[in-house]
Formats: sequence, structure tokens, C-alpha cells
Amino acid sequence: MVAVDVINFQDSDTPLHRKKQETDTYVLWSGPPWTLTEQGTIHPFRKTHKSFLGKFVQEFNLVASDRRSWKILLFGVMNVICTACLLMWCNSTNSMALTAYTYLTIFDLFSLITCLMSSWVTMKKPSQLFSFGFERFEVLAVFASTVLVQLGALFILKESVERFVEQPEVHTGRLLVGTFVALFFNLLTLLSVKNKPFVYVSEAASTSWLQEHVADLSRSLCGIVPALSSFLLPRMNPFVLINLAGAFALGITYMLIEINNYNAVDTASAVAIALMTFGTMYPMSVYSGKVLLQTTPSHVIGQLDKLLREVSTLDGVLEVRNEHFWTVGFGSLAGSVHVRIRRDANEQMVLAHVTNRLHTLVSTLTVQIFKDDWTRPSLVSGVLPAATLSASDYGGASGFLPPASSKQAEELDPLTSTPTKPSSPPPEFAFNTPGKNIQPVVLPSTHQHRPYNLGGGLGVGAGLGMGARLPSVQGYRTSFSAAPHRYGSNLLPSQTSQYRP
Amino acid sequence: MDDKYSSNVISGGKLGRVEVPNARLTRYIVLLLLTKMLKALGIFESYDLLKVVHIVQFVFILKLGCAVILLFFQKPFSTGKMVAKRQWIKILKHAVISSIISLLGFFGLTLCGPLRTLLLFEHSDVVVISLLSVLFTSSGGGPSKTRGAAFFIIAVICLLLFDNDDLMAKMAEHPEGHHDSALTHALYTGIAFLGVADHKGGVVLLVLALCLKVAFSTHSRKLSVEIGGAKRLYALSSLVSAMVLLPWVTVLSATTESKVESWSGLIMPFVMIIFSVMILDFYVESICTAKLEAPRSARYGSIFLFLSGLLLANFWTHPLTDQLRAMSKPGQQASTEHVLSGGVLVSACFFILSDSILSSPSKKGQKGTLVGYSPEGIPLYNLMGDALQHSSQSLPRFIKDSLKQILEEYDSRQIFYFLCLNLAFTFVELFYGVWTNSLGLISDGFHMLFDCSALVLGLFAALMTRWKATRIYSYGYGRVEILSGFINGLFLMVIAFFVFVESISRLIDPPNINTVMLAPVSVGGLIVNLVGICAFSHAHSHGASKGSCSGHEHGHSHHGHGHGEHGHSHGGHGHSHGHGHSHSPGGRGMNANMRGVFLHVLADTLGSVGVIISTVLISQFGWLIADPICSLFIATLIFLSVIPLLKDACEVLLLRIPPEHEKDLNFALEKVQKIEGVLSYRDPHFWRHSANVVAGTVHLQIMSDVVEQRVIQQVTAVLKDAGVNNLTVQVEKEAYFQHMSGLSTGFHEVLAMTQQMESMKYYKDGTCIM
Repeated sequence: MVAVDVINFQDSDTPLHRKKQETDTYVLWSGPPWTLTEQGTIHPFRKTHKSFLGKFVQEFNLVASDRRSWKILLFGVMNVICTACLLMWCNSTNSMALTAYTYLTIFDLFSLITCLMSSWVTMKKPSQLFSFGFERFEVLAVFASTVLVQLGALFILKESVERFVEQPEVHTGRLLVGTFVALFFNLLTLLSVKNKPFVYVSEAASTSWLQEHVADLSRSLCGIVPALSSFLLPRMNPFVLINLAGAFALGITYMLIEINNYNAVDTASAVAIALMTFGTMYPMSVYSGKVLLQTTPSHVIGQLDKLLREVSTLDGVLEVRNEHFWTVGFGSLAGSVHVRIRRDANEQMVLAHVTNRLHTLVSTLTVQIFKDDWTRPSLVSGVLPAATLSASDYGGASGFLPPASSKQAEELDPLTSTPTKPSSPPPEFAFNTPGKNIQPVVLPSTHQHRPYNLGGGLGVGAGLGMGARLPSVQGYRTSFSAAPHRYGSNLLPSQTSQYRP
Repeated sequence: MDDKYSSNVISGGKLGRVEVPNARLTRYIVLLLLTKMLKALGIFESYDLLKVVHIVQFVFILKLGCAVILLFFQKPFSTGKMVAKRQWIKILKHAVISSIISLLGFFGLTLCGPLRTLLLFEHSDVVVISLLSVLFTSSGGGPSKTRGAAFFIIAVICLLLFDNDDLMAKMAEHPEGHHDSALTHALYTGIAFLGVADHKGGVVLLVLALCLKVAFSTHSRKLSVEIGGAKRLYALSSLVSAMVLLPWVTVLSATTESKVESWSGLIMPFVMIIFSVMILDFYVESICTAKLEAPRSARYGSIFLFLSGLLLANFWTHPLTDQLRAMSKPGQQASTEHVLSGGVLVSACFFILSDSILSSPSKKGQKGTLVGYSPEGIPLYNLMGDALQHSSQSLPRFIKDSLKQILEEYDSRQIFYFLCLNLAFTFVELFYGVWTNSLGLISDGFHMLFDCSALVLGLFAALMTRWKATRIYSYGYGRVEILSGFINGLFLMVIAFFVFVESISRLIDPPNINTVMLAPVSVGGLIVNLVGICAFSHAHSHGASKGSCSGHEHGHSHHGHGHGEHGHSHGGHGHSHGHGHSHSPGGRGMNANMRGVFLHVLADTLGSVGVIISTVLISQFGWLIADPICSLFIATLIFLSVIPLLKDACEVLLLRIPPEHEKDLNFALEKVQKIEGVLSYRDPHFWRHSANVVAGTVHLQIMSDVVEQRVIQQVTAVLKDAGVNNLTVQVEKEAYFQHMSGLSTGFHEVLAMTQQMESMKYYKDGTCIM
């Protein structure tokens, strides 16, 4: 999402053109608050019910226009019928275990809805209300469905405890039929519908205890029969696993009730199925819940730390703080970071380098550069543009506005909206007297940041000629310095539109 | 994937301890098999004997016989060093405890029958220790051990629940006078007090005795070293315990008349039992432990013992085995005693499985944590982690600390007090229900417990909210509260759904309701919940006032309010909105957690009110239909009152622009646009992170001649006025894009750029001007 390409090059255009563009954007932005975009985009929670329904129908039509979602809808209808049948049989058999198993079927219905939602999400562009896009709906749907199933399992546990006190009789007539119907439908749904969000979560989340035990068993089984290893050793799909295990428990229940009339087995296997449901769903809800809580995914922390260390060693960077990184949907990382730099460092240069480092990992990135004590007039910035070889390179910076001294006292504080860490070192170059600021002439060839010195010795003459210290600027000289106009020119008018809503 | 697992198999299986091939050990295994079969036989016989001989006498005879034989073989007095006086006291203790354990074991035998005793009591130490370590420590040893422990527990439960042993009913009919001694009488009354059948009491007793035995044998290891060998200790201890039991036996035989007709007929069986159960088993076990290693001998021994026990149980009453039985008995009820049942078979299978799993050596190597890779590419593991992690604080201290934390803050304190009140009410209800044997009360009590889980969730969330920000939770834990509110909302939806379904099924077929007990319980529940409502609604206003005190919120509170009013007049469900908003004026994005808890309490209150109303209607007018209609109404009410909570929580979780700041943000962005030097902005993201953090990021494009820091300052100030208190502004000048395009130049970009350049010669001039 980071617009690395040239986004706005109005400066290079004729002033007239630029003016026009500006007004253009202005009109767009200052339209009636949010309503302009709201007509085009939909957000599910409207104030009034009527429009909510209308929106829903509209969205539904949008999703249904895709051929692929027909299949999901078909399965959804089948699932509803099957669930209704099963619930009826649950009532007639009076079996708790079958009820617990039916909840898995209901979970399949939820997962189908999630699947529909994910295909809806892919059709939507970020709107103004949901500026990060709609990927989060997917995460929320996964979280809600896993939590709902766990709550159902909790309900089963409560009912089972009540049944242990007084065990009613269980009729086995439809028990086995119900089991097989439910198993068949569940497996059919699981295996024939490609459910992207759930597949992702079940692979990314930590293994459930059911999976662990099956893996352990199958590993020891493969010690005896090595031929099975390709089939048994890969990570099992947790949903298939719990469906099979639940059906197995129900089969045992049926057998024991038929043979010995042990009605308590029904309750016991209901408890077992509920526990297995907990075990299977808990890791997934933890994973999606962590995404919802805007946490940094633990698997990228190592990479992130490496990048942040790199950033903090860039020339001019004093410290990196307030770093927040989190996942928007399943996968794409977003983040913001504050970088404190030396007084004399070039902000745009540092910004470009920090962004360049981080955006390989973080796709939605915002970097705030700040300087301490910036209001003090600095000699460096005044002479800076003249120092460069081509004026257009750092063009325009010569028009430095002297700061309004009346404001500086109270405005220094909100600069950093969050409190600084106590451990942050004092600014290295926050000198009180401007005289100290002038250091002896530093030859640009002596600086230590070779990798960034792609421009060769272009800045040497300038640096000497001015007599001011410009090591950081020169160090960051990027490879394009020879032809700034070239990149300036490749701006299409259409490209500017990407920061319109 | 395959590689990973196969390497795991190698490190786990092949590099572990090497087992001696079975062929060299066959004779020991056969010896073990024979011994175990004899032992099973001995136990079966001793069950028969115990029907006539008193248990204390029986144990005394066993110990005495054992001591005599061991004195003869082991010669503990003539060989080895002298036993000091201090050690004699220890031996005395040892003897007393061992005789208590064998008394318990044989008493369990009389209760449960031989097969069940074998299954429950005859586990080796290795098995029980690994079982206990799985159950009570976190470092159990992988999923296989957990499975073994689960099998063990399932087997015990099978014996407890699914083993309908017919004889037990007969045993339970024992007239009290039948009990021979004070000891058995005390045990019987103890079991009867627990309220379980004798047989189940026997199972519990045997499990306890097993744990005691294991603890005892582990403890006495040190003593055996001190004395000079386990065999010597065994000999001395059995001698001493025989001496200890002697006075009791003499008193017993003097006071009670014996049922034994002729002691001479019992000599052979006693010799047999002493030999098989006490002597042979002890020696063979010690040999096999030395030769086969403890885990293996434990595994084989228990499997052999259980299998031979099953065989014997099948054939014990058969005429063929009558020769084997020393005691020819008038076979009246013998055929129905402790027969094999399905439950016993299943539990025997589970016991065999769990013993073989639990006694297998644990692969400690797998528990190391991966540190990294050596230069050769071999993974390096850290095995120290286990030892270092044991510095956790003690339980009382932990409880004290968390209590202090809970009581620190207003919200969590409220929830905690209400939770205590609720739990107290629940337990009173449960106890009263058990006391009066009323199922309705018990099930209502469980329902209350179910509801308490929501309170517990809220309490946890209120605690977690105050945790410090970590590397992973970089904004702090404030958002947990919203997630907990969301979960509580879902919980209420589920409850409403179940009530709805239940009431519809009752609407079709209204059941008869006994209204006697209902009214007082529901009144009690209503009172408790009303207290809760008072507490939490106070919390609400508290939170709201706190929210409006903090600067910028103040100016905009009427915005949100007007908004709410708007929704009111338009919404089709006015009263439910009223619930949501009447208690939280202007505070839409405030504490979702407390709102969830409050709604929960509200729903409970509604339930109690509904029950009271329907009780009155039913008892006064006999309208049975009133109950389902009431619950239908309540379900709808709960459902509608949850929707606003869910909606708000969803909006926060989905990172929507906070609705109460929408307008301000819009104006603020317009203002930002007008700041001097700002050309445009892009990617404005604003979202509520938690109750008091509204975060935002925005990218600004400014003119090249403007100081960035000034713009940042102005923008921050403007947006702070709009309510954003965690802002990140990225200020971009033209130079930034030039740098970026220079930095990110790869082959493809260059290609694209050259193509674009050729097609757009026109703009070149424009750039040159700059």
C-alpha cells in the first residue's frame, strides 16, 4: 500500500495545472462528510433497519453474481436442511451426544458463511469508514464462529452435568443414521468447498491437543508400518479429525446402548465431543483473537527486530520508538513507527530509507520523523539546497520559513503524542548555541556509510565548496541523482488519483 | 514436512536408550509370567479365604508365615551389620504402615472381588509415579503420557460407573451386625457416609491404597539402603508387623467366635498364598527389575497379571477349576459373585493400555528447546529450560496478589463482589437442592454457574486491561476489554437462542410445572441480580462521568448524544435502545466489557422477573401457556438489547472510524488541508483501539519549502482536537518520492520507467523548469 512510485509531482507541472489539480482534490475531500463515498460503499451497520436490509440484499446480490459462490450457497441450503433434520432427530432420540455432534454441522454452516464473506471481501475496496479495507470481516467471522461453537460446547457441558444427576433414556433408533448423515455432510462440505480463511487459520494456529495426540499415535504407527508415513505424518486437518472422532464416539455410544443399555455413555460421549470441540476451536480463536487485538504476530518479531535494528543504525537516526505493528487481515502487516533523528539530518532522506527498509515486510506503513528542538534556526538547512549538484534534487527547500517563536513553547509537546520512553537517550545534537553547531569541515569521502553512497563522489565538490557539514545528506545520495527530471516526468495524471478516496 | 518428522523419529527413537533384545531375556519373561499367574491365583484364593477368616487374622497369618520363611532364607540377624535402636524404630514405623496398607488392600479385595482388586491395586511404582506427574505437574512428558493418564482415569471411571456388579447389591444389604470387627465396621460406615455403593467404595479405597503404597515404597527406599538391602528390610518388617498385629489378633480371637470349622484344612491354601503372593512375587520382581529394567518389567508384569486375572475370573466358578480351589464350598451363591461384566472388560483393556504407555521410558530429549543450528547444520537443543522454570510463586501468594490487583480498580472490584454474591447464592441453592433432593433447584444452580462464567470472563478482561504494553501487545491490553464485551455479547445471543428454542418447543407442548419451589428461588435470584444492576449501573455513570471529564471528549459528548437520539426516533426497536443508552449517556465507545457484564445481569434479572410473573399466572389462573410466552418475550428482549453492544464492539474490532468522532475527523481533515504548505493527504486511517485510545495514521504531501516539523505539530494539534490521541504523521515532500524511486529501482522498475518516459516526453519540460 505504500505508494513508492511517484505519487504527486504537481510541482513539476506548470503552476496552472497544479492549481487545478489541487482544487480538484479539494472538492472531493470537502464534499458532504463521508456521504459521498458512502453511497458507493457499504458498511453493514446502518442506523436504520430498513436500509440495513436493503444493503444486505444489495451485497448479497453482489456476492451472488459470482458463479463460485453459487456452490457455497447450494451447500449452505443443504446444510440448513441437514441441520434441521438432525435437530429433529436429536429431539426424538433425546441424545446429548448427537446434539453435540449437530453443533459441528452448525459450525459448518458458519464456516460457509465465512467463506461467502471472504469472497465478498475480495470484491470490496477500502472505503472511507473502513479505511483498512474489509479483510478484517473475515477475521471477525472466523473468530465469531469459533467462539459460538465453543459456547455451544459449554452449553453441552452444562446440560451433561445436569444429565449426570438424572440420566434420561436414550432411543437409539435414529442415532446411527443421524451420525452418518452428519458425518457425510460435514466431510462433503469440508472437502468440496475451498474455505480460504479457515484453511489459513487452521494452518497458522498452533496445533490442538487432538491433533497432537493423533500425530503422536500416527508417528508410532509409522514406526511399525513406514508405508503409511506419507498419509499419516503431515499435519491433519483439525475439522476432519474432529468430525471423525465425534462419529467414532457416537458409534461407541450406539453400540453400548444397544448391547448393554448404558444410557450414561451418551452423556459421557457428549462431554468428550464437547471437549474435543474446545480443543479444536480454541487455538483458532486464540489466533484470530490476537489478530483482532492488534498484536504483533510472534513469528515476524524476529524479522521486525532485525529491520528495526537496521533502521536505527541509519545515519542520522537517533532512536526508533512507538513502534506498532499488527496484521490487518490474515497476512498483510500494517504498522506505524516514530523515528527521532538528528537536528541536521535530512528528513526526507531518512524517511525514504526507513520506508524502504520496512516496507518489504510491512505493507501499510506510516513513519513519523521528528526532531528535537527543531524551532531553533539551523544554519544547515538554509544552505542545503545550494550544496546539491542539481537544484531540482532537493528543490524548493531554500524557502525556509523562520519559525514563529510565539508558538514554539506549547507546540513542542504534542509533537510526540505518546510519551517518550524513559530510556531514550538525550538528543545528541540538541545544542543550545548555534555556534557549536558548526563543525569542522568534513570531507564527504570519509563517511562510513558506503552502501548508501550510490551516487559516487557527486557531492564531494559541493560539500567542500560550501564549507558546511553535509555528511548525512551526501551519505544518502541515491542513484538517481543524475537525472531527477526523468523520474519527475513519469507522472501520469491518473496516478495522482490514488490518494483520492 | 516429511523431513521434519523423520528427523524427529530418528532423534526420538533411535538415539534414545537401547533396549536389550527380547531373545536373551526370554527366561526372565517366562518366569515373570509364571509368577504373575501364581499371584493371581493366590489373590483369587485369598478372596475365598477371606470369606471365612477374619481380615486381621488373615493378614497376621500372612505376615507371620512370610516372616518365618524369610528368616529362614535371608537370616537377617546372623548376617549383615547390627541393627541400631534408632533403626528399629524406623522399622517399626515401616511395619505399621505396611500392615495398614495390606489391611486396606485386602479389605478392598473383600469389597470388590479379586479381579477388580488386581486391576486397581497391582500397578507398579513406575506407572503410578508417571501418572501423578502427568496429572499434577506441567512437565508430563508429551502427549503419549497424557493419553496414558487419560486411559487410566477412564478405566477407573469405567469400573465406577459402568460395572453393574450384581453382587454388590447383596453386599450392601449386609445387616450391620454382620461386620466382624471394629475396623471393618468403621470402614463400612465411612463408605456408607460417602453415599456410594460398597463396590464403588471399594474402588475408591483401592485407588487411595494404591497411591499410599507407591508413596510408601518410594519413601522406604532410603530405609532399605540404611538397613542393608530391600530383602533384609522386608524380612524384618514382616516380622515386626506380625508382632504388632499379634495383640489385636489375640483380643479378636478371644472376643469373637470363629467361623472356621477346621484350621487344619486351611493350612495348604495359606501356604500357597504366602508363597505365591508374598515370597515368590517379591523375589521374582526384584530379579526382573535388575535384569529387565524397571519400566519393562512393570509393563510385562502388569500385562501378565491382568490377563491371568481375566482368565481366572472367567474360569473360577467353572467346575474344572474346582480341584484348584482348596476350599470346597457349598456352592450356593458363589456363581453370581463378581462376575465378568462389560465394564470390567473395557476397563481391563484400558488398564493394560495405560500401563504399557505409562511405563514406557519417556523421551526426555524431545523436550529441549531449539536454540539454533551449529555450523554443520545440526540443530542444537537447550535441555536446561525445565530446571529453570520452576521458580514460580506459591499458590497462596499468587491468590493474594491477584486479589489485591482485583480490588485495586473500581470495575474489577464491582465484578468481583458481584461474582462472590452470585456464587454464594448458587452454592446455597445447590446445597439446598441436594439436601431436599430437588432436581429443579440443582439444575437451576448449574444454570447460575453457567452464567457465572460470563462474569469470570469479564473479571479477567478487567484485570488484563491494566497490564503493561509488551512487545506483542504494543498498544497495551486495552482492547481485551472490547473483545471480552464481544464474546459476552455472543454468549448472550447463544443464551437467547436456546431460551427461544426451548420456549417454542414448550409452546407446542406445555409441560406441567411445579410452582412450589420456583417462587422463592426466583425471588432470591431477582434480589441478587437487582443488587448487581445497582452496582453496575453505578459503574456506568461513573465511567461516563470520567469520560466526559477528559478535555476534548467534553465538547463532543452532545454530538454522540444527538446521534443516539436520532437512532431512537428511527429505530424500530425503541425500548431496547433505551436500555443500552439510558445507562450510558454519550458513551458509545466506553467500556464494552462492563456493558457486556451489565447486559448479562440484566438478562438474568429479566429471567427472574419472567419466572415470577409466569408463576403467578400459573398458580392463579392455571395458564400453563404463560411460561413459554414469558420466556419467548425474554429471549427477544435479550436479543434486542445485545445488538447495540455487538454492533459497537464489531465496529471497534473491524477498525471502523469511531462514529462519535466521524464529523470531527472530517472537519479536522479539512482543516489539515488548509494548513499552509500542505498539498494533499492520503491514506487517512483512524480507528479506536480501546476505550481511551483513538489511533490514527495519515500521510501528508507538503510543499518542498515548508518545515516538516511545523506541519506535524499543527496536524497533531488539529487531530488531537478531533479526539485522536495516538497519531503518526508521515510528511512527504517531493524529495521523498525521488529518493524512493531511486532506492527501489530494480530491473522491472527501470524498464517500466523508461517505457513511461518514452511515452510521456511532454512532461519532461515541466520538470526541467523546477
